[in-house]
Amino acid sequence: MTDPGDLVARALAILTEEAGTWRARQAAAPMLPAAGGTKPEPGTGGDPAHVVSVRLTVNGTSHTLSIDARCSLLDVLRERLALTGAKKGCDHGQCGACTVHLDGRSVLSCLTPAVHADGRQATTIEGLSPPAGDMHPMQQAFIDHDGLQCGYCTPGQIMAAVACVNEGHATSQAQIREYMSGNICRCGAYAGIVAAIQDAAPKMAGA
Amino acid sequence: MSDAPFPDVPRSDAHDKVRGAVLFGADDTRPDILHAALATATIGKGRIVALDTSAAGAAPGIRLILTHENLGHVKSAGFLMAGGHAFQSLQPMLSPAIAYRGQPIALVVADTLERAVEAAARVQATYSTEPISVTLDAPGAEIIEQANTPLSKHFPEIIAGDADSAFAAAAVRIDARFTTAPQHHNPMELIATVAEWKDGKLIVHESTQNAEGLRHGLVAALGLLPERVEVISPYIGGGFGQKYAMQMQTVLVAVAARRLGQAVKLVVPRAQIFHDCSFRPAIRHRVRLGADRSGNMVAAIHEVDAQTSRHDLFPAHYGAVSSRLYGIKNFRARARFVRNDVQTPGYMRAPFEHAACFALECAVDELAYSLGRDPVALRLANDTATDAISNLPLSSRHVGECLRRGAERFGWGKRSITPQSMRADDGSFIGWGVAIGAYPCLIAPAVARLRVTVEGGVFISIGAHEMGQGIRTALAAAVARKLGVPAANVSAVIGDTCVSPQHMTAGSWGTASAIPAANEAADAMLNALARLSPRGANGRTPAQILRAVGRAFLEVEVRTKAPGQPDEVYGRIAAGHLSFGGPVYPEFVTFSYSAHFAEVHVEASTCRVRIPRVVSVIDCGRVISPRTAASQVRGGVVWGIGAALREVSEVDSRYGGFLNADLAEYMVPVNADIGCIDVEFIDKPDFKFNSAGVKGLGEVSLVGVAPAIANAVYHATGRRVRNLPIRIEHLL
Amino acid sequence: MRPFTYTKAATAADAVGAMAAAGPGARFLAGGTTLYDLIKLNVETPSAIIDINSLAELDGFDTSGSNELVFGALARMSDVAADERLMRDYPALLESLWMAASPQLRNMASLGGNLLQRTRCGYFRGGEPFACNKRKPGSGCAAREGINRGHALLGGSESCIAVYPGDWAIALSAFDAKVDVLGPTGERTIALEDLYREPGTTPQIETALDSTELILRIRVPATPLGRASTYHKIRDRESFAFALASAAVALQMDADMVRDVRIAVGGVATTPRRARRAEETLVGQPLTARTARAAGEAALHGAMPSAANRFRIELGVRTVADALMIARQRACRR
Repeated sequence: MTDPGDLVARALAILTEEAGTWRARQAAAPMLPAAGGTKPEPGTGGDPAHVVSVRLTVNGTSHTLSIDARCSLLDVLRERLALTGAKKGCDHGQCGACTVHLDGRSVLSCLTPAVHADGRQATTIEGLSPPAGDMHPMQQAFIDHDGLQCGYCTPGQIMAAVACVNEGHATSQAQIREYMSGNICRCGAYAGIVAAIQDAAPKMAGA
Repeated sequence: MSDAPFPDVPRSDAHDKVRGAVLFGADDTRPDILHAALATATIGKGRIVALDTSAAGAAPGIRLILTHENLGHVKSAGFLMAGGHAFQSLQPMLSPAIAYRGQPIALVVADTLERAVEAAARVQATYSTEPISVTLDAPGAEIIEQANTPLSKHFPEIIAGDADSAFAAAAVRIDARFTTAPQHHNPMELIATVAEWKDGKLIVHESTQNAEGLRHGLVAALGLLPERVEVISPYIGGGFGQKYAMQMQTVLVAVAARRLGQAVKLVVPRAQIFHDCSFRPAIRHRVRLGADRSGNMVAAIHEVDAQTSRHDLFPAHYGAVSSRLYGIKNFRARARFVRNDVQTPGYMRAPFEHAACFALECAVDELAYSLGRDPVALRLANDTATDAISNLPLSSRHVGECLRRGAERFGWGKRSITPQSMRADDGSFIGWGVAIGAYPCLIAPAVARLRVTVEGGVFISIGAHEMGQGIRTALAAAVARKLGVPAANVSAVIGDTCVSPQHMTAGSWGTASAIPAANEAADAMLNALARLSPRGANGRTPAQILRAVGRAFLEVEVRTKAPGQPDEVYGRIAAGHLSFGGPVYPEFVTFSYSAHFAEVHVEASTCRVRIPRVVSVIDCGRVISPRTAASQVRGGVVWGIGAALREVSEVDSRYGGFLNADLAEYMVPVNADIGCIDVEFIDKPDFKFNSAGVKGLGEVSLVGVAPAIANAVYHATGRRVRNLPIRIEHLL
Repeated sequence: MRPFTYTKAATAADAVGAMAAAGPGARFLAGGTTLYDLIKLNVETPSAIIDINSLAELDGFDTSGSNELVFGALARMSDVAADERLMRDYPALLESLWMAASPQLRNMASLGGNLLQRTRCGYFRGGEPFACNKRKPGSGCAAREGINRGHALLGGSESCIAVYPGDWAIALSAFDAKVDVLGPTGERTIALEDLYREPGTTPQIETALDSTELILRIRVPATPLGRASTYHKIRDRESFAFALASAAVALQMDADMVRDVRIAVGGVATTPRRARRAEETLVGQPLTARTARAAGEAALHGAMPSAANRFRIELGVRTVADALMIARQRACRR
């Protein structure tokens, strides 16, 4: 059995690494070079006719990427830009875990061909609030009302929740429930999510 | 030590989760990672006669295709419930045999995800097929009595008194048959494996409830040394039992990573998940319940037929809980397996308890109506302090208080007993239903290591897995209270096989296993700190004491196990074997309890069933983390609504597998399905059970919800629906 | 997903020209919520995608006209579902939009694409090994003897009983909508009812559109009937689910008598279905529970149940009846 001292040192290293890795991703986004980097270009060995160049702005940073035309916006965000907040829960637009904002509107990034984001502005959970600053009122409200458990659907819920308020659909509990029904939570945190939105809505600027 | 209730504080990992900062298995996006995709069998049973991967291999960017023809020396890791480590004994791709539709037949690895997926679709298989049997009623299905199998050693027959005679002689008799459909866990996170070989070690990032089991499963499958395998699973995007053992794809991804010398990532698509892991089996029950005229239940017989696979016997332990709901002195349970051509079923949140209590609690409701007794009063009259099966005392049981408190909160006194007698303003029929639930309190051995540092850090390493139940929060709360430090300073390091043996976290035993160990570790730390400063702590924090004596850190280790367990269990957990104890302990029996009250509104014309409110009162011992505990209960109620009214995995017996293999057609509740869920805890510690007084919560929160809803539907409509899920066509 | 080439069209004429030139493996891409979904399932396997989202001339809509409402094919569902004039004058149209899908999908999906959405039949979507004449002509229909709880009661054939799952088309049917399409030889107008084809012996052919044709706009003749209208949708859960049965109903009352009525049913047929027989039973009659039910029965007349979907006949009847009562309440409020 390994020396306990080593193990706890390992524990410390893991904690630092977990936090550090995420902070590194935040600070350096985009982590991956746009072109000519170590990520294999989709055109390698394939038909260049199937590759498209897209220019998209994510969380205020502009990226020009050569992508396989088949790529979803979700996979580009996660695999090319290391923005793993948006999650793949179904890949068919049936669960909402991949929700991001495109030109200010909530969309399902798994069902958005990445080419559709060309020339447009995307906001992900990572861009909702600065890495080392105050959180968005909706994020704080999710904490305060425990609108989460495992956390996997949470980024999508929060992006949908912000849009729900911005698009004027948070005027009653019933309306919130209806407009948040595109985001499935298998842990069943729905009551906390609704309470969080009711709490955050009046605190959001311009709501 | 304070024995006071714990305060309501935020979940400790909420801050990271709302930022999307928590990394799950598939969130590894290093630049040189390779992507994998599975091809799966389209037949229900038979053999691969020819496998053509040439079209797949010709696609651009393909780095490797693994099939049964080239997988190499891989063995099955064995079925976890038979001493192995995997959710089933059949490891796909060891042979051309196909046991169920959806069984993986190839793993394709490419430089991009799109290419891997495309190539996997190009894999061509030719099969010889055999007839299949995929439902309980299938002709020619093999039926086996559990009592006649080796399982009877660990899951003995549940018998007390002479139930058959007592039932025959009972003044009032209920004889009812129930069915519960197959269901799937469907946590939001997709099953995913990232495997890499680094300096001769296999490192696997995969969300699992059993990192040690996964590690030793890889050891067994690939013939590795345990020291050469690490499994890391700090966060799980929903477990519910789906991730209790090694899945089917882990080994395949590990082999691919070794062949290619690069990290490989496989994210299993939702549709494939329906066939790539375990599920809740289809079950049919017969419940016979006998009572005397004053409502004392004198006899119960609970017989169950449950699906299992051809290759494994997944236990059927339903009678273990239906026998413990009340003090019924004459009880007999019987379980039979029906072998089907499916992957091995498994533990899905309250695997036995949800179905068993559905059947029994609906029968109890029928009994109440036969007797003209109020359903709450009838249950209270059959309370008990002793376990009828072992004759041992129950270490704690507050289900009577759960019923009384729940009835009061719900306003049960205003219920008019006749079905269809309560109407809403919109014409809907209102139904009020009640049911209780129970869940065995189990404890797994734990090794806890606690370190305090001069910088003020406190680290507790233990075998545990965080899947949203809030175990990190509970650990932080318990240790913080003991050491007198802020909970925010306490970090729980879990889900990593390098820090501590990572015994499975399941069976609602996580808190009951980890918290007492953490408390003991904290006590040991306090003793160690006292030895460092003999004049006493004097209100100083551990960090201050360390600074005073010039030490950088201090560390302790403790081990805990369930009452009655031998020390051999520590070797078992280090080897990744299931080692829980309970609920029958040497001197007592321990269960958690719930009482659920449901209000349903059944629309008069369309028979749509709405649930505007549920009241749930839970006896789970001391509540360490009130906020996460309340969320667990709400989540359990949502699960109960899904189980009662929404979820069924559809089986077409001509094809096998599950047809509605996506999240549109497999209906879990959405936000608009959920109304008000009012939760209360009895919060009385059970110190006989463990030193922290905690009992399990994650599953008892679901048990009893489905029968409460079914009983409410009866109250609203006059119709007894004995099949789950209850849908419009049952009421129209 | 098979690889495909990707081009963007600048004008409708360009799009049609590009489609004609590209041949049978090409598809128009609007919101993508149907096409991209089916590409991921390998049910659609285009070799070329022609993106039409830049066709600015098609993304507007105008509900202010006194003769007709005009909806560009690329108008987004969520934008139209927020229109206040529609809410006041044609609530059925509005409801058929906001009760569909989820908010995110409604932000992405176009009105034209929504018309062309395809069935949710699990045998169609599931690919191999399921027999499906729509996906693979001649392979059979697994649903007829299989799990058919959600399959069609009306308009089916020996070859196919897949349900048309949309909502917007149902409401449009009730209002005699017309669809303008552009093809290589010019524009033509099709009545919405004539847009859809029942499966017959060719279930793979779902519409009257030529593969090169592009929907430009949907036009709805203005009618005072719109005010007292509703789209009533019954599903297995409260939201984010397809219809088990639905009804779009519009009413004009003369005191207690029905002066004019429109009824279309959804969720129960292979195509959107205007229930003219049901309408005839009501015109000139009082609207009571009995006559509403009779209309529902007429709307479901000729239903051919399979093993598991018989209950949806009764459900459909009641849905029509309930929708009539909701519409009547709206008539009374005027």
